[in-house]
Amino acid sequence: MPQARKAMYAIVVGCGRAGAEIAARMAIAGFSVVVIDRDKYAFDRLPDDFTGSTVVGTAIDHDVLEAAGVAEADVLVATTYGDNSNLTVAQLARLKYHVPRAVARVKDPVRSRAFADCGIETICSTDIVATAFASRLNLPLGS
Amino acid sequence: MGAALARDLTTAEHETVLLEKNRGKAQTLEDDLGASVIPHDASEGRWLLRAGVARADLVIAVTGDDEDNLVICQLAETLSRGKARTIARINNPKNQDAYRLLGIEAIVNATDLVMSMIERDVGAASVVHLMRLRSAGLELVEMTVSESSEAAGCRIADLRLTEQGARISVVLREDAAHFKIADLVLEPGDTVIAVVELDSEDALRSRFAASRATPPRY
Repeated sequence: MPQARKAMYAIVVGCGRAGAEIAARMAIAGFSVVVIDRDKYAFDRLPDDFTGSTVVGTAIDHDVLEAAGVAEADVLVATTYGDNSNLTVAQLARLKYHVPRAVARVKDPVRSRAFADCGIETICSTDIVATAFASRLNLPLGS
Repeated sequence: MGAALARDLTTAEHETVLLEKNRGKAQTLEDDLGASVIPHDASEGRWLLRAGVARADLVIAVTGDDEDNLVICQLAETLSRGKARTIARINNPKNQDAYRLLGIEAIVNATDLVMSMIERDVGAASVVHLMRLRSAGLELVEMTVSESSEAAGCRIADLRLTEQGARISVVLREDAAHFKIADLVLEPGDTVIAVVELDSEDALRSRFAASRATPPRY
């Protein structure tokens, strides 16, 4: 469980490259951070001076979310490689635990837009990468 | 499970498209099904669209992964603008509440199905669960009256089941269905179909259970 806090409280689901990076940045920005991953060795990606805590488990399991203190969270960020896991956990955070913000990483652009239209915040890595390439190559932007 | 369903639906002359992300399986299925097969992930929007989700009447998600089934159904509802009915298989019963919370009503729970088949075939339980009507908080159950059931020889009205959240709807006796049952006297061998409030089947169980434990027939 996270320590007593006045800081904003964030849960990061998935400790891959993106998850470890955003967790580290949020901790530096003063968030109280808990990272969830089903593989305890994934936490090796966190920096040595990481100030947050970690929970091993599958994030759609309510025991695991509750162990991470989801009811207290100000924001949940879902970063795993599975679009559907991210969308499921983000929706549970919003609808079941009333977390004010939940942002899900979604690789599939169609799925990303469909869920964005339903009120789930999504970040589409495919769109972002394609846009970055297009910009670097001076192509007209827009999708 | 998906392959068998697709085969049955095709045989029944429904226009059926099967999405299977495993290429090897997809090829095999295409060869022997006759249904059209899309060798891609159904939770990826473009493949659902290519499968014609916009004009589908029914989308059935039966993968072995609960998150995939959930998202496939939600996506199908959005992409079909609410026109397609969806049915989701649930693999881990722990996820059932999450499915409902996220708006998936039609759930096939393999674990529950297998349990009710075991209850029926093994005869281990006096109450067999037929169907759950979760939104109404009710359950449809089947019971068989045995020689030593407390209910054997009782008038149905005298059982006073309605006071305990249960109502017998029909009694099956020697292949005939009896609907006017208030004055019917239950006999061993009768099968009773009842509507009960969720989780209040204990009253029924105590009336219909055989008083001596009957060894299960394996």
